[in-house]
Amino acid sequence: MAHIYLVPGWFVGYDIALELAFAIITIIVSLYAFKIYRLSGQSQSRLFGLSFLFISISYVIQSLLNFAIMEQLEENISRAIALNNVALLNFIGIFIHIIFFMSALITLSYMTLRVRSAKVFSLLCAITFLALFFSTNKLTMYYVLASLMLIYICIHYLGNYWNNRQTKALLVFIGFVFLLFGTIHFIFSVNQAFYYFLGHALELIAYIFILINLILVVKK
Amino acid sequence: MSRKRDRLQVIYDILSAINERDGKIKPTHILYRSNLSHQMMEEYLTELLAKELITQNVTKQGKTYSLTQKGFDYLNKYKLIIDFVDSFGLD
Repeated sequence: MAHIYLVPGWFVGYDIALELAFAIITIIVSLYAFKIYRLSGQSQSRLFGLSFLFISISYVIQSLLNFAIMEQLEENISRAIALNNVALLNFIGIFIHIIFFMSALITLSYMTLRVRSAKVFSLLCAITFLALFFSTNKLTMYYVLASLMLIYICIHYLGNYWNNRQTKALLVFIGFVFLLFGTIHFIFSVNQAFYYFLGHALELIAYIFILINLILVVKK
Repeated sequence: MSRKRDRLQVIYDILSAINERDGKIKPTHILYRSNLSHQMMEEYLTELLAKELITQNVTKQGKTYSLTQKGFDYLNKYKLIIDFVDSFGLD
């Protein structure tokens, strides 16, 4: 089973800062979506806000546990017990991140389907979490499922750009495409250190595009 | 133009009509201003009441509708709502 990421030595610490930056960007997007929901009562905005809230929580947890791992390694690098703690923290961190990130993608996918049905939502949740639970290689399964959902989300945003023909819609589409690239390559390279950095770099570009769009919307 | 955009636009038109009448309007005027069927207008008014964008006042002369603070906020922030909804594909 592959339950670990290999992190390049020079990247330790930077990854935590980036994850916190992702958490801040996504929580800002989430808060704005909830504000739009309060103003308009539009349920799509609430679902969008909820999905970005889940993404933000997933990054906060990931960064906190990565910080705890870094602390353990710096303080007790020579002790076997420390390595056990690191492995446990790593395991917990990855799985909590996966649960929240998948919840976000399920909510976002459900929103793009434009259906209002608790059955459809519960079916998406059941299929996703059962597949993850029974998979022998949970991390690879997570990337396969996340990539699949992101492909559908990207198709939705391509359609949205096609219909609106606005720069802002294009920015969001590109953002989600980068998020897809940042996820899909892990399917083939989960245990290679360089790809851990590449994943974070692609995610950074994705969230910058989404943030630029939000700034353009708010400033207008 | 998407269906949701139309819906948001209709809500904007109804709220604008109420706002232009000093914050109070009869259903017949809304019907005239929003260019909706009677049934559709009733559905929208029910929705706007549920979302607390308007309030209903029943008097001897009949029903009138007025804007709530949330309704005024919707009018003021309409451009922001539309931009956010369009760019983030929430229609």
